[in-house]
Amino acid sequence: MKSSTLAKDQSFKTFINGVWKDHPIFSMILGICSALAISNKVENAIAMGAGVTFVLLATGLLVALLRRLIPTRVRMITYMIVVATFVIIVDRVLKALFPDISQAIGPYVGLIITNCIIMGRAEAFYIQNRIGQSLIDALANGFGYTYTLVSVAVVRELLGFGTILGFQVMPEGFTKWVVMAMAPGAFFVLAIFIWIGRSLAGMEEE
Amino acid sequence: MKDKILMIVFVLVLGSILTAALMAVNFYTIPIIEKNEGIATKSSILKALNISFNQDNVEEIFAENVEEKQQEGTTYYVAKDSNIAFPYSGSGLWGPIEGIIAVQPDFERLKGITIIRQEETPGLGSRIGEAPYLAQFEGKRFSDGLELVKPGRSSRDNQVDSITGATMTSDAFIAILNKNLREVMPAIKQGESQ
Repeated sequence: MKSSTLAKDQSFKTFINGVWKDHPIFSMILGICSALAISNKVENAIAMGAGVTFVLLATGLLVALLRRLIPTRVRMITYMIVVATFVIIVDRVLKALFPDISQAIGPYVGLIITNCIIMGRAEAFYIQNRIGQSLIDALANGFGYTYTLVSVAVVRELLGFGTILGFQVMPEGFTKWVVMAMAPGAFFVLAIFIWIGRSLAGMEEE
Repeated sequence: MKDKILMIVFVLVLGSILTAALMAVNFYTIPIIEKNEGIATKSSILKALNISFNQDNVEEIFAENVEEKQQEGTTYYVAKDSNIAFPYSGSGLWGPIEGIIAVQPDFERLKGITIIRQEETPGLGSRIGEAPYLAQFEGKRFSDGLELVKPGRSSRDNQVDSITGATMTSDAFIAILNKNLREVMPAIKQGESQ
């Protein structure tokens, strides 16, 4: 009994760390490149979040499964091969089943390979932990990444295009904030988001 | 030494397994992806020719209404009402722009223009792909070249509006259209006069 509550506590802690305390974007400032690029529309943000979450889960599963077999000196190469494989799978599946979304986020899917969240979590967590914990961590980090992207995208799409998920929200005569649709808008909104997140979590720079 | 061999074996085995997985995924998705691309091109041709269709019957409507022809290596599509469509491509401001141009049977006026692929600035240059912008091309006289003017200033029948805040994309787009029309029209005229 005791060990099961302990495991539950551990899982809960892993999850909270991923979505809040060690939040990949505002705590560790990882995966910023794609967060800046893909957060212009909510639809794209959801697709990117789902893609990254899937790759995280698959990588977590495989790396945790093989953690005793992976020779220490080639572990980085192993992560790269594993991550690259799943990223290509995501790209192909998007192209086949969701051609419109694939068109919209096209080149950035390939860049999931370089998303530091995945390499970072593999090195920091999956290589040392069991499959169950690794999957929870992957899910939590994926969720943390996705909700950040979607919140930034909500602000940017609302102000930059006057829509949410393609539906017109703002009144007819609304002047679009073009800057929000472009890269600088992403920097503003993401920076504000990181600021709020860090203040709420009580994090301070040393 | 044994460590090193194990290391190489591990990487090779893992690499082979994952490559096999990729080949399997590729094998299953290639036909679907090709079909999607075919449908995207066909629906773009239908749209340029102003033939109405919906997502489910693209293939049938296309087969019924459009005939594919070849002339001197140029592929073009002739609709039942003699409008003619052909694909164009060129460099926009940030990346390639590809799509379909349709011309009227007099070889002088445009029927419609669509864009299949573009990578222009979202919210600015990307507006070349929006329906209201592309709609203005219908009926424009291209035989002496299309001319770009400031938004709302088009008066002659070969003038089209540019997009505010996206001058360079507008310039590039008109240049692409003019170049493609100039290069492809002779072959089509020849093909159709036979």
